[in-house]
Amino acid sequence: MPSSSRGHPTVAVDRVSRSFKVPSLEALKDLGPASRALARFGWRPTVKLQALKKVSFTAHSGESIGVIGINGSGKSTLLRLIAGLDVPSRGTVKATSQPVLLGVNAALQPELSGLANARLGLLAMGFSPEALEEAMAMVITQANLGPAIHRPMKTYSAGMGSRLRFAIAAASQPEILLIDEALATGDETSRNRAEERMDQIREQAGTVFLVTHSGQTVEQTCTRAIWLHHGELVQDGPAKETATMYRWWAWNVANGKHDVADKILRQETAKGAAMAEALAKATTADKSARSGKPKKPGNPGQKPHRGTSPKSDRPGRGDEDGVTS
Amino acid sequence: MTSRNQQDAQVATAAPRLRTIGRRPPLGSYLLDLWQRRHFIYADSRARAFSGNRDYILGNLWLIGKPILDGITYYIIFALILQIDRGMDNFVGFLLIGIFMFSFTTRATNSSVTAMISSRNLLQSFSFPRASIPLAVLTRELLSMIPVLTTMFLLLIVLAPSDYPVVVTWKWSVFFLIFGLQTLFNTGVVLYCARLGSALPDLKFFLGFLTRMWFYGSGVIFPITRFVQDEFWIAVLQSNPMYLVLDMSRDILLFDALPSARSWMILSAWAVVTPLMAFLYFWQGEESYAQQQ
Repeated sequence: MPSSSRGHPTVAVDRVSRSFKVPSLEALKDLGPASRALARFGWRPTVKLQALKKVSFTAHSGESIGVIGINGSGKSTLLRLIAGLDVPSRGTVKATSQPVLLGVNAALQPELSGLANARLGLLAMGFSPEALEEAMAMVITQANLGPAIHRPMKTYSAGMGSRLRFAIAAASQPEILLIDEALATGDETSRNRAEERMDQIREQAGTVFLVTHSGQTVEQTCTRAIWLHHGELVQDGPAKETATMYRWWAWNVANGKHDVADKILRQETAKGAAMAEALAKATTADKSARSGKPKKPGNPGQKPHRGTSPKSDRPGRGDEDGVTS
Repeated sequence: MTSRNQQDAQVATAAPRLRTIGRRPPLGSYLLDLWQRRHFIYADSRARAFSGNRDYILGNLWLIGKPILDGITYYIIFALILQIDRGMDNFVGFLLIGIFMFSFTTRATNSSVTAMISSRNLLQSFSFPRASIPLAVLTRELLSMIPVLTTMFLLLIVLAPSDYPVVVTWKWSVFFLIFGLQTLFNTGVVLYCARLGSALPDLKFFLGFLTRMWFYGSGVIFPITRFVQDEFWIAVLQSNPMYLVLDMSRDILLFDALPSARSWMILSAWAVVTPLMAFLYFWQGEESYAQQQ
């Protein structure tokens, strides 16, 4: 079973949906004159936006997972939910430790120097003053900003800012690191340095998530890929295969071959669902077999979360022993 | 097959437990988390102090400058023009305590009502107990009160009329007890304002109106008994925590007298109940502060 070679589960996303109410003028033309009059004064009708639809997967230690998809496919929403910075409308997110998110828009406090921002960020993550000094030294080395680290953060270029944010996130030595398109903004040297650090985290039995719309980045840096399309999980599998399919699909869309693209999407969705089901079945059998032997059967901590019926997730405790083992 | 299962079982028992992410923790562990973030609260309050007045040439001197200018304005209007100070022994002292002490509560409400929105960067980047933000706002305003109170004491002594001199006695130490109660009460106000302001940002515009009503209802500029005669309304206004803070401070600093037991009891009740209720209220909204709607 892949579960034993991949290490223990670190993040379990179970049938997670997230919808937003966003203001939109789209619905306005269907409304009456009163609503249109109100809209002149700044009132906006809201529409429901389904950012994620019943997404399920389990991440394991030692994995680096690329989350790919076009703009607006729900990648960043998924990451924010895993980080606990947003709450799912339905479903649950579980993790072994607090994931650390490295976002793009986190300008932090623009008035403060890079150093002061790093200090504030580390303290926010719960560092004690004693542990802070060591972590600050790591931030300075990893960010490699030279004297610029003493300048206010509003004077930074986009690449410099993302380097500092990556350094802050990495210095907290998270078991689960979530990265949102941050590597794209760095130059070649800082990208290598960041990739090195990501590998390090992965080797220390951690899990790294990387959100990007570039299939190439995923192929180069990840072991596994999750492809999202309009909030739905299309494919979840080895990075190379998934990213290749994604690029092939994207190429067809870009060249106007929508029928081919749609076919790929349908095919991959079906394949992804079948694989998830097969894996869930296998894991359930594995679990049942496992529950017969060890002292602590059916530890809820190892419950696999592959989007199947809740029954198959939860193996029987005593009564199934005779059947499976 | 058996060894395979045993191997799996070892992995299973060694694996750490999964716990739910992003949900509001129970009150006990929330308080523990918050205590663990005390260094962050202090650092954030320093960062706020740094960015607050730095765009102005006089910088943090405005902490003192603004209440002094306010005081001069009110003196001109209410003493020189309306002559409301007739029959009052030390109107300047009365006014100084009112304006300087009330400014603590006004600044705390004004900065906490926008705190969750202005801290969005921090809230969306890091996971920490959200009550750290309003508490950092309060800490910042508390630190600002050090120069403000020092100036108030100096001005009270220097500007006192010769017939009614202001003398420093042991009773002044009791004043810090009152200030402590005001700080506790303000902790509650800050937590309420932070959640309300995050749910309803428009409150910011309404707040100026509310604090102005509160300002006049607390007897900052003139004794409320001068204009309100109805006994019921006097009792209501005299149970207002800010009225009590100002009245009790004046008893000690101007008249060298200890406040009445009734005042102590009502103010203490406010200072205990308000932060407790406000904390529960803020904690219940914990999951909402970083959300983008």
